[in-house]
Amino acid sequence: MISEFNRNKVVDVARLDDDTLVVHGILDDSIYSLELDFKVQVSDLTCFEIGGRWLRWTTPECPKALDFLAQAEGFCLACGIDEKIHKTIGRSSCRHFANLFIECAYAVRETVKLMRWQAAKSSGSKLSCKDFLAQEKSADGSLPKELSVEVEVKSEAITTTTNAVSVPVVGPSKKPLATVNLGGAGFIVDLHLHTAPASPCASDSVDAMIVEAKRIGLNGVCLTDHNYLWSPEDIQALREKHDFLILRANEIVTEQGDMLVFGFYEDVQGIIKLKELKKLVAAVGGFIVAAHPFRGFLTFGADDIGLTKEKASSRDMFQWVDGVESLNGKVTETENGLARDVAVGLGLPATGGSDAHDILSVGLYATAFAHPIKSEEELLVALKEGKYQPVTFR
Amino acid sequence: MANNILKFSLNRSTNVEKLADGNLLSVCRLRDSFSDAEIRMVVKMPDLEIAEISGNFRHAYLDEVEVLNDLLQKLLGVRVGAGMLKIIKGLLGSAENLDQITYMVEEACHGVILHLTKKVLLKAPDDEAGQQIFYSKMVKKSIRLYDRCAAFAKGSPLVAELEAEKRAGGEL
Repeated sequence: MISEFNRNKVVDVARLDDDTLVVHGILDDSIYSLELDFKVQVSDLTCFEIGGRWLRWTTPECPKALDFLAQAEGFCLACGIDEKIHKTIGRSSCRHFANLFIECAYAVRETVKLMRWQAAKSSGSKLSCKDFLAQEKSADGSLPKELSVEVEVKSEAITTTTNAVSVPVVGPSKKPLATVNLGGAGFIVDLHLHTAPASPCASDSVDAMIVEAKRIGLNGVCLTDHNYLWSPEDIQALREKHDFLILRANEIVTEQGDMLVFGFYEDVQGIIKLKELKKLVAAVGGFIVAAHPFRGFLTFGADDIGLTKEKASSRDMFQWVDGVESLNGKVTETENGLARDVAVGLGLPATGGSDAHDILSVGLYATAFAHPIKSEEELLVALKEGKYQPVTFR
Repeated sequence: MANNILKFSLNRSTNVEKLADGNLLSVCRLRDSFSDAEIRMVVKMPDLEIAEISGNFRHAYLDEVEVLNDLLQKLLGVRVGAGMLKIIKGLLGSAENLDQITYMVEEACHGVILHLTKKVLLKAPDDEAGQQIFYSKMVKKSIRLYDRCAAFAKGSPLVAELEAEKRAGGEL
């Protein structure tokens, strides 16, 4: 037995004075070695005097990450802070410093609980740590705010709620759509687009995305916000406002990855099993496309791990989908290539979409349909007919 | 009460080894002032799907997860990769005593990713000029790296070539 990768993290928290903790964290693994030091004010859990040190790193530019650690000065290390650390330290400094910082934040929260229990013991309490913290929790119905454990996923596990709502399919726009000379290229629709705030990961508004889509000459866009159902009224209003084809779909998270679902208007929350989703979608005549099925990693791809077309095609997911997204703007050429090969090998139709989360990526890839589309009903018919192909547009 | 005496300490280790059948065993262990826990998972290669998983969790103030191993089986078939965290959280749920378990599953998955990353990074040359070329090629191949950390931030020498291509293509 030889361990080929090892990551060790050590975090120590000591008390400097009545209201100050000193935190020291070390992350040492087969690739990186780094340290973090900072202080925390116990009364409000804010951190300050943050410093870091690299011992081992990879690129010649990694040392610059230290300059951005100060962005976390003043962060309150209470509930919900992990996401903020990822988005600030992880994005502007280094994800490994963010990982260690999150570990330190957890240690700080636990330390404060330990200190409260120890203080109670010193004051004569005979309660065990568990009973003491349970009593604190029941005293006000929840743990004190600064001690609450993060709850980032609101939906209960596995309990997938599909709130059936009777939503009519959006029909042709009452106003005629702007005519575009299709030439021989077909009718081009970006079938995979995210908008803020419907998708928390997106950074531009739906209006900004539509304006950009029109500007670059797309014939339409399909909004595929994560587990988010646009109302037909909102879509109609957007169509009229922008005089542009706007369609709805939904990017639904399953245990086998993200699925673009067309013609299915139920508000799915939580994680749904793909097999179950297929049943629901098939029942209403909808269409499922496997979104970026081979989306890989930051530094290695399918080719690096020996994933062949044959092995990839045997993945369980492909028996439950109606199509494959083989051009996605967020994955590598190799990963798109593998998706294309699998789609061809399995005889599944292929689509293209930018997966844009900001205006710069709108229309990077799209789907070229043989005939113009005016409504979601027509989109569904077209998807089932299979007369389309993924295209590089931008 | 005396100050500067350690109040809380945490040790977390993640180890990845290659099994005889080519699959990967990733084990995440945690020992801190309150917790003693372990997550073990076998990841099928090259599919990168969780093929086996088990764990144990003892905690000073959180309730025991009585059906932990049954619960973990819900993760079988989940693919280690981008987007896995929301799937893991969604499948395991948000109970307070599962918070750390969820994190450890994620850490074990990250161990697998870093193990595979290490293999790629071992190909990097030792000299700085060579590294510059190596990492510039890497970010061009995997656009997801662009502007995701200080090293690959906009304006970094490592993304100069990529940005020049983007400018030529009208993307910048």
